[in-house]
Amino acid sequence: MDWLRILLSRCAAFFRRRRLDAELDEEFRAHIDLATTEHIARGMSAEEARTAALREFGGLTQARETYRVQRGLPWLGIFAQDIRYAFRQLRKSPGFTLTAILTLALGAGCVTAVFSVVDAVLLHPYAFRDSGQVIVWRETMRELEHIMPVLPDNYHHYLNLKARAHTIQDAAILQTAGFSVSTGTDHPREDEGLAISPNFFSVLGVNMLMGRSFTEDEAQTGRDREVIITWPAWQRYFHGDENALGRTLRIDGEPYTVVGILPRHFRFPVMSVMPGEATHGSTDRYEIFKPLVPTTSELTTNTGEFNFLVLARLQPGVTPRQAQTELDGIEKTTAAAEHVTVHLGVVVMPFAQEVTGDASKPLWLLMAAVLSVLLMACVNLANLQLARRAARDSETALRAALGAGRTRLLQGVLAENLLIGLAGGAGASAFAYAGVRVLTRLVSILPRMNEVRLSLPMLAFALGISLLTSIAFGILPALRVLRVMPQSALQSASAKLTGSRRVARSRGVLVAVQVAASVALLIVTALITRSFARVLNQQRDFNSTHVMLAKAELSEPRYGGGKSPDAGDIGADPASLQRDAMIDRTLDKLRALPGVEEASVTSVVPLSGSMGVDGIVRPDHPVPEGQIPTADRRLIGPGYFAVMGIPILEGRDFDQRERENPRAVILSQKIAEAAFPGEDPIGHKIRHWGRDYTVIGVAADARINDLKRDEAVYYLPYWDFPPFYPVFMVRSSLPAQTLAPEMRQTIWSVAPDVTVPDGALVSLDSQVSESVAPERFQAILLSSFGILSLLLAALGIYGVLAYSVALRTPEFGIRIALGAGRAGLARLVMADALIPVAGGIVFGLLLSAGAIQWIRSLLYETSAIDPWAIGLSLAALLLVALAASLLPLRRALAVDPMQALRAE
Amino acid sequence: MGENKSDVLQGTLDLMVLKTLESMGALHGYGIARRIEQVSGNTLSLNQGTIYPALLRLEQRGWIKAEWGLSETNRRAKFYSLSRTGRRQIERETENWERVAATIARFLISPR
Repeated sequence: MDWLRILLSRCAAFFRRRRLDAELDEEFRAHIDLATTEHIARGMSAEEARTAALREFGGLTQARETYRVQRGLPWLGIFAQDIRYAFRQLRKSPGFTLTAILTLALGAGCVTAVFSVVDAVLLHPYAFRDSGQVIVWRETMRELEHIMPVLPDNYHHYLNLKARAHTIQDAAILQTAGFSVSTGTDHPREDEGLAISPNFFSVLGVNMLMGRSFTEDEAQTGRDREVIITWPAWQRYFHGDENALGRTLRIDGEPYTVVGILPRHFRFPVMSVMPGEATHGSTDRYEIFKPLVPTTSELTTNTGEFNFLVLARLQPGVTPRQAQTELDGIEKTTAAAEHVTVHLGVVVMPFAQEVTGDASKPLWLLMAAVLSVLLMACVNLANLQLARRAARDSETALRAALGAGRTRLLQGVLAENLLIGLAGGAGASAFAYAGVRVLTRLVSILPRMNEVRLSLPMLAFALGISLLTSIAFGILPALRVLRVMPQSALQSASAKLTGSRRVARSRGVLVAVQVAASVALLIVTALITRSFARVLNQQRDFNSTHVMLAKAELSEPRYGGGKSPDAGDIGADPASLQRDAMIDRTLDKLRALPGVEEASVTSVVPLSGSMGVDGIVRPDHPVPEGQIPTADRRLIGPGYFAVMGIPILEGRDFDQRERENPRAVILSQKIAEAAFPGEDPIGHKIRHWGRDYTVIGVAADARINDLKRDEAVYYLPYWDFPPFYPVFMVRSSLPAQTLAPEMRQTIWSVAPDVTVPDGALVSLDSQVSESVAPERFQAILLSSFGILSLLLAALGIYGVLAYSVALRTPEFGIRIALGAGRAGLARLVMADALIPVAGGIVFGLLLSAGAIQWIRSLLYETSAIDPWAIGLSLAALLLVALAASLLPLRRALAVDPMQALRAE
Repeated sequence: MGENKSDVLQGTLDLMVLKTLESMGALHGYGIARRIEQVSGNTLSLNQGTIYPALLRLEQRGWIKAEWGLSETNRRAKFYSLSRTGRRQIERETENWERVAATIARFLISPR
């Protein structure tokens, strides 16, 4: 307790130091007086007595100093003094101060903004219990491995695995869904949501804020008209009314009772039933949860209906790998016992990896890029500091000669950098704030992006980074300069040269580091950008210009409520006829619009991934189950190929004949060759949904699912099974702003009860560009970092050269006086830049070799060792280096020998 | 200053001050310094000023307390006296010192 008492007493003394100082002086005076009196009493003269008293006391000042150190918080006083001094120093050189603060603010701000994203997307735990124990499992089928390595889940298999596995506590099954939701009094709104098994929230470990979760018996038709909503949905539809429970929401035209409201912090990341597509589609959070009711066929089929996603919680201590081994084993044993004709398996994926696995590497790459920009900024800062220290050599030396200790001198530097760091931190927070806003807008497509915000810890992070770098990169150069002996620094300028040469050398090393970082960053950027360009310029085999899309959502009950009828009725039930009529009339009206060249319809928005994959079975030519070729299914209207600009290679397009007899199919070239090798497919039949379809045409392959994938597609006429969400498409050279409202009005004039979401009223061009948003985001960010790094490198090189030229002005003067030519002089100056730049380039190439290895998987059809990328990067850097050295070079060549020598 | 005077050993000054206050009661800084010089028989080279940091140290620990008063010559001065904890502390400090002294002494007895 002693130390606490002493500390308290010291603190108290610190704040009363003025009074205490007065008291101390008074006490010392009393001491001297008492001693003098005593000496006089012993017979000394007053003069002698006072001198003796002072001598015996032994130095008033030292005693007072030691006393003060013992009494208060001396370092605090000194610190305050240092800060005041530093403040004055910084104000005296605003150029340096502003540059340093800006550099720090930019560097730390960028890092914080990117890290905010990395943290929210990759590091932040999910808003449910022990998210590390939650896994996703999917299935595999050896027969389909060549086209789909991993499949969604089959309900029947889910029930079996859930019942038998011991490594999992519980498993929930779900399906993603879009709902048109209204309270019954307003226009419906499209909300994303999930159809879930009743145990979904207990598997996640989430409790309702109000109400309850679903019960087991609600997972059946008739009992399933209940809904759980999120906090934002509760606010939106019921304005946070406490009595919202028990009230109804109209979902897809049917009344649903609200039984539960989720807590405010609950967020469920966007997921996809299809593997590897977690980031596709909307990033609106899921707000509507309703019970999942499987169909009879889904409950019993073993080899089809892979329509679901399973989420499970592992038993404590069980690893995903152990779970996978057990589940896979059970699946195989059961399949064998039930004589399933295909080879099934199970793969397990940790939840976090499922959601953000694809985003992880690009984000870390960005983090690395932004960190290297920060590093370069720091190097510039260190460079500035070195120059500043060197410029203040004589002042420092003077202070040292007057008895300032090394520690004290360092403390002064520390105070200066503390101030710079604090100001930089404040600036960094502002930059980070702006950066996060830009990033969230730019990359809304990344998973969990809706959770990104600039939090308080992140602001602390910005400040911390700024302080840390300013202090580290301020102190290190200071240490180097402080080693200079006082006397040498106080001597004439030319005597200082050696010391400054040493400083120049360390600045050269700094430039080399900068160049290396810049080269590596530029090469990586060039590769990623080229890969992005490759995706964009990829032969798509469709023409995206002048095409406008409008998706209509037919979710009212009269259209069938999104449910497929029984197999026998497909396409002929009353709801299908309603949809049929709606689509027919809309198409007629669209075609009649002025300026419209062609109109058609399709079942899936192009470039939004796959709709469903089917085996192409030939009744006339049976193949073993494992070798059935597969293709993506599309329902289209006549004119689709004309609108999309996809050539028909053989046969014909759909026309009115298919309206009467819709059992016709058009194959893409790829599937045509796979299903009919060496044959003409026209006139042959394929079997689908138990019915035969005649091949009437072969169309060219086109990347209508994903620019990066060249998938086989088979097209059916929409009359065969009119889609619930028809996507109308129009080819017209009218601008999108004119077409969009016209298309919507046309759709509404036919059917006022369908929704046409704003997000699904887009041009095909913007849909194409949206589909590569993550790649574009990466390319844009990396490019800006790359340009920033070039700028920083230019600054660094300029700084070094300008400094060395200024230092060598007398030398140049002598050289010119002795007859040195301009060329020789230029060589001398350039040599100063060339060595660090060359060294940096070599080191940077090595660095980028490592980095490329790491990012190889992010590249699309781009060679990792791309001479163009490397060449362009190096050329850009050399050009910048040259530009940066021009100004100092001109100054060197303009040296007037007379003036230079006189200055000496 | 004489050659045969020795500097005050670090830490011993505290004990000397405590013992002085114990035997003399309340005393001002000059009085304490003089007393220490006298008791040591003028063999210590004591810069009188150095006792003030020592006094402060003891005060911070709560072993002594200080009060302004009047000296015998009617000069206003700060008077120091032992606190209750200070009195108890003397015993501990004495024991400590004796142990150190005994240890040193053992080294000084040459095993000839």
